[in-house]
Amino acid sequence: MALESYDHTGVFRALADPTRRAVFERLMGCEMTVSDLTTGFAVSQPAISQHLAALRGVGLVSERRAGKFAFYRAEPAALAPLVDWIDQYRTFWPERIERLKDVLKGMDQ
Amino acid sequence: MSDAVETPKPHGGDIVLDYELDEAPEKVWRALTQPHLVAAWLGPNDIAPDVGHSFVLEPAPDKTVACEVVEADPERRLSYRWREANEAGGVVDSTVTFEVTPTPLGGSHLRLVHSGFRTAGAGGLLGVANDNTLMQWSAKWAA
Repeated sequence: MALESYDHTGVFRALADPTRRAVFERLMGCEMTVSDLTTGFAVSQPAISQHLAALRGVGLVSERRAGKFAFYRAEPAALAPLVDWIDQYRTFWPERIERLKDVLKGMDQ
Repeated sequence: MSDAVETPKPHGGDIVLDYELDEAPEKVWRALTQPHLVAAWLGPNDIAPDVGHSFVLEPAPDKTVACEVVEADPERRLSYRWREANEAGGVVDSTVTFEVTPTPLGGSHLRLVHSGFRTAGAGGLLGVANDNTLMQWSAKWAA
């Protein structure tokens, strides 16, 4: 089984930061500007912008410009590599349980 | 994150597998907890059914999992943390649980649950206590 066959490095790295995870989560379901986002976080606006840039870099967040405003939203489909990664266990475990059954058959008593 | 009308999916991304086995719980328990038997179906390991026991499991030649027993109720329930490195230098934590129940004909029902997938940074866990949101995101995305 090759758990390494997907390129999920970037998504993992982007979500490794707790503030970034929180930003991503807040953008699920609603569009926000940077200043909307800064409200409620004990983090400066430039820091939020940096997190947004990192999230955009791996496709987890998209930007829509309207006049002088930029609106951000989460793109949960970018989580697909993580879901794929977890999904590999859906084939791993049934295979291993078949082996477990063979082990049980071969045990004494 | 708060969508009141959405149907709750407490186990949205968990892997849950059920099996009927001919062997009794006592035998199944041994196959789940004795290193030489576990090695034959899951990979080299130094497992022991003691809460707090840390062990290393190698399910494939290029793959190492750091485990820690979190529950061990003989012939009934075994649960261990399953921690893997990811390529970004962080870890992915999850939990593997085996539930064994006797069946009327002397066999066992085995339920395997692999759940609680969450990712954390290179330095270890980064405040993920309340961060089991990955699967909720995934569930939302899949909905």
